[in-house]
Amino acid sequence: MDFFFNLAPLAILVPLLMFAAIILFTHPNNRLSSSLAIGGIAFSTIISWGIVLATILSGEHIWEETWQISIPWLPAGTSVLWIGLEVDSLTAAMLFMVPFVCMLIFIYSQGYMNLGKPNQDPRYSRFFAYISLFAAGMIGLVLSGSLLLLFIFWELMGLCSYLLIGFWSFRDRDTEDHIDEAQVKRARAAALKAFLTTRIGDVLLFSGMVLLWAYTGTLNFSEIFQPEVLEHLAEITIWGLPAATVIALLVFGGAVGKSAQFPLHVWLPDAMEGPTPVSALIHAATMVAAGVYLVARTYPLFVAGSVAGDGSVLAVVAVIGAITAFFGATIGLAQNDIKRVLAYSTISQLGYMMMALGIGAYVAAVFHLLTHAFFKALLFLGSGSVIHGVEHGHHEIAHHSDHHGDDDFNPNDMKTMGGLRHRMPRTFWTYIIGTLALVGWLPFAGFWSKDEILGEAFHLWREGGTFSLPLWVWLAGTLGALITALYMGRQIGLVFWGEPRHGAAEHAHESPHSMTTPLIVLAIFAVIGGLANLPSNVPLVGGELHHFIGEVHEVSEVVHSEALALNAIVAGLSTVLAVGGLIFGWAIYRNYRVGEVEPFQRWLGPVFTLLKNKYYVDELYRAVFIRPTVWLADISFRFDTGVIDYLVNLVGRVTRVVADFGGVFDAKVIDSTLVDGTGKVTNSFGGWLRQTQTGRVQNYVLVIAVTVLLLLGLYLYL
Amino acid sequence: MTLNRFLILLLPEITLTVVAFLVFILDLIIGGDEVRERRLQWFAFLGVLLALVATILIWPLAEAGGLPVAFDVGPGFGGDVVPMMTLDGLALFFKLITVLMLAIIILSAGEYVKVHTPFRGEFYAFVLLAGLSIMLASAATNLVMIYLSIEFLSITSYVLTGYLRDDVRSTEAAIKYFIYGAAASAVMLYGFSLLYGATGATGLVEIATALATGSVTLRWLVFPALVMVLAGLGFKIALVPFHQWSPDAYEGAPTPVTAFLSVGPKAAGFAVLIRFLIVALPAFQVNWSAMLAGVAILTMSLGNLIALWQTNVKRMLAYSSIAQAGYMLIGLAALAPLAESWTNGLNALLLYLFAYLFTNLGAFAVVIAVEDRTGSANLPDFSGLIRRSPFLAVSMLVFLLSLIGIPPTGGFMGKLFVFGAAVQRQMILLAVIGVLNSVISVYYYYKIMRPMLFERADDAEPIRVTPSMRLVVGFSLAMVLAIAIYAEPFIRLATESAQLLLAARF
Repeated sequence: MDFFFNLAPLAILVPLLMFAAIILFTHPNNRLSSSLAIGGIAFSTIISWGIVLATILSGEHIWEETWQISIPWLPAGTSVLWIGLEVDSLTAAMLFMVPFVCMLIFIYSQGYMNLGKPNQDPRYSRFFAYISLFAAGMIGLVLSGSLLLLFIFWELMGLCSYLLIGFWSFRDRDTEDHIDEAQVKRARAAALKAFLTTRIGDVLLFSGMVLLWAYTGTLNFSEIFQPEVLEHLAEITIWGLPAATVIALLVFGGAVGKSAQFPLHVWLPDAMEGPTPVSALIHAATMVAAGVYLVARTYPLFVAGSVAGDGSVLAVVAVIGAITAFFGATIGLAQNDIKRVLAYSTISQLGYMMMALGIGAYVAAVFHLLTHAFFKALLFLGSGSVIHGVEHGHHEIAHHSDHHGDDDFNPNDMKTMGGLRHRMPRTFWTYIIGTLALVGWLPFAGFWSKDEILGEAFHLWREGGTFSLPLWVWLAGTLGALITALYMGRQIGLVFWGEPRHGAAEHAHESPHSMTTPLIVLAIFAVIGGLANLPSNVPLVGGELHHFIGEVHEVSEVVHSEALALNAIVAGLSTVLAVGGLIFGWAIYRNYRVGEVEPFQRWLGPVFTLLKNKYYVDELYRAVFIRPTVWLADISFRFDTGVIDYLVNLVGRVTRVVADFGGVFDAKVIDSTLVDGTGKVTNSFGGWLRQTQTGRVQNYVLVIAVTVLLLLGLYLYL
Repeated sequence: MTLNRFLILLLPEITLTVVAFLVFILDLIIGGDEVRERRLQWFAFLGVLLALVATILIWPLAEAGGLPVAFDVGPGFGGDVVPMMTLDGLALFFKLITVLMLAIIILSAGEYVKVHTPFRGEFYAFVLLAGLSIMLASAATNLVMIYLSIEFLSITSYVLTGYLRDDVRSTEAAIKYFIYGAAASAVMLYGFSLLYGATGATGLVEIATALATGSVTLRWLVFPALVMVLAGLGFKIALVPFHQWSPDAYEGAPTPVTAFLSVGPKAAGFAVLIRFLIVALPAFQVNWSAMLAGVAILTMSLGNLIALWQTNVKRMLAYSSIAQAGYMLIGLAALAPLAESWTNGLNALLLYLFAYLFTNLGAFAVVIAVEDRTGSANLPDFSGLIRRSPFLAVSMLVFLLSLIGIPPTGGFMGKLFVFGAAVQRQMILLAVIGVLNSVISVYYYYKIMRPMLFERADDAEPIRVTPSMRLVVGFSLAMVLAIAIYAEPFIRLATESAQLLLAARF
């Protein structure tokens, strides 16, 4: 079994190597480049699944004695920073999903970037290099055995995210005449926004790391989570708070940035400017889940921090999660861009995971993370397939009608689609499966994972008293589920039903097999994913994931988890909401016509406008943070030109007046002696130094003789 | 010691000798045939790889205090054998440096040699012999052996410098180098003879013993000897004020030879200097430490200040390498042999040298690649390199950052250790001047970066990079980054190489 564990570093290194190989060598050959990338990630998938299998087979021991390797990395003063890899069952659970989903998305990308077609992306190879680098980062993050290495991979993914969101900002305008300037600008702005916003979180996480290092002298998970270390952290205080609380809050800050939680969620919808496989890969399935994973990984810190500080940290996590889950979903109701709806859906679902972590249900959170990765990747890839089809349709009519058609055509706009279920059947059916999984219909994957979160909240509410935190969590989750059903109903109604509302939709084609096959595979997992963790009262297979990862944090002696039975009230209620909401949304939107005021807008009025504008959070940030910064810069600039320069000029003028009086003095003494003198000295010094290099070897030898004699003379006289 | 064991201990040297002579012979046989001559390059490279394997094979044999390399001839030949060489961590470290340097230079020279000179095969043979002489010098423990191997190195270097027989500048450089070298070598030999006169011994250990037992009445001769030896070795390392040959020789020599000159003789000079000072004169540390500190300050400052004026990249890198040797010298000046901390000065020097090896050779490889295309190596030739060859430009950027000492590059680790050693020995002034010099150096390194990254080239045609060059630059780049990103094994290599020598002598 150790065989696969010992191969673990390769799961990171091989994709990394493929990145290097593509960037350095194979980039002129597109097909080879993408094959290398796919081969690399396939290799990682095999190794990772081997590790998963080995972890399962090795039974209970792995939870106490996790497999790990570590190497001393950098001497830091008197101690050494270690980096290493570690596999426990939480890692294994993630490893099951990450490389596999990546691989499917890599395969899909081959079709999406139009390999071998005339409109193949001009930076095709580079794209595959970037996503290989990204995959290496994510697999590395999951395997990291220390916070330090995790942070390195975390930043690596931040970089990849930046590069990929802005991927289309470098389009070569000479070869691609259909690229509009506006899109390039949007891509640049989005990349920058994502980078800067997540950076806030990264700085917080880094500060947490520094504090942790300062107080414990280690960043290795296995050492941090020892009960005595946690106890020590809970006892000492920083600014009146237990150190564990402060550190946990800072770490959570990092997770908020990466997992797009309120109030740092603003970058994720804009990140949809990147190519769709990127949206699926980074902004739905894997990278954004890194924040949730980070919290799950460092969970003992959170619990220790909460126990010491009156439940504060976990309550913060739960509240932020609940807010994000609910408000994210509501914004999704009013978006027209097919990918943006999904983006807000992602934000909302990540909120579910966070709130599950916040109320103590970390197994449920990881479970939802896993199922969500599959069905959200499916939905994103499906939307990409739709966009791809519509774009092709648009090209076709542009060709036929001999002019460029309407230049402001937006292939992402759901309101111009319609009736696509006949034209893109494979995309349609898989999309429906993804939708049902997201909305939470029995027996699709999303039902089980979402229901477990709601069930846990409900259960804790019954234990904790009438107006305790779990009540609000449960309410937010349940309402969020209804809204999720509504916006997904609206989406499938607009996209797949009704009549085509634009020529492009009318001429849309089904995407190639390289794109639809990954959809089918993902759809299978979206259906059966729930089997991983059925409620505990299901015989034989109930609570599997609980058995598997439930004891990961046992060693810390603060985290406990147990599987719950199915709660009929919770499950029944959420099923009714999911079924009702989806059908309602679908029914009122499937016959929507262009130009009509849409039903939600009619009923919600100003609220709809509020949602459409995302609660004006962007505007708020612009007013509160960006404006003042620009304003401050402006003021500084004005101060600089107005006051400082004025003073400088004044001094100059005064000097000139003085100089006018003492012209002779100035010319004779100041100029020729002081000013020119400085320059002359510098000049002659350099010149003199250069003159030592005469080019005459006799002089050189003389220098040796003089030097030796000089030193000897010094010695003799001193 | 049996003959077999004796030969095994000399395996890397023997490999290089045999390969070099085979290259001479093969060159005679196939001379004039372009295609087959090209194979000699790969043959030489293969030989270097064999030497690398040999070095690794004998690695575990090194002992604390050094394993004397001597062949027991038996009484029939007249009794005692004086061991001339040793096998210890330091010798192995420099063997490794030599082999890596040879591999890089041989691979990067191919295109240049083919274009610039009709005498191709023997070029590689001379490079191999030069490498051999460095190995011998770094293992030598006897003044006679030290002198012979240093002379061997000098003579091969003269030949290589004047290799372009039809090029006046190359010939002139060789003649100057030769005359200067002869003078410096004479001074060093005079120093050796004073030392012999004072102690009656030529072995380094014996000299130390003679000085320690106090029976030496001519103790006052040691300091003049020290100064003279420093002049000779300073010439090899190009320490100010014994550096003046280097800019002329660097500029006139064929560029691959310039690359060699900027690393090989420096490494040999440092190896001998380290061994000479630590083994023979540990009792005089106060004296030589102060002297080296002064020379280090001069070397850094002068090298950097004159480099500011240069417009030819080869000449600029020549002055830059003078300055770099100054930084390395700080390590020896601030030697703290018994320090328990992470840097004892000697491991700092070795780490710096290891990083410098890849950085400087990588930078020269880029210069060679550009020169192969443009015909010269002035600053304007680097304009728009980022468009003409992004690979070369990015690599060069990293090499320059490493020469400045900016993380995450090997040069940073080197400077960190060297300056750290100085601070630890309370030589704050030395450290401050070192840091100030790094700041000055940014300016002229930036003078290469700016046209490379921001200016447009008149000739926008892409620069073709041969596979062997790509390999060389890529490998150097990887090493420069690796030394910083995963520093631990390199630090351990340097520390362990230094430790045995220090443990035995102090």
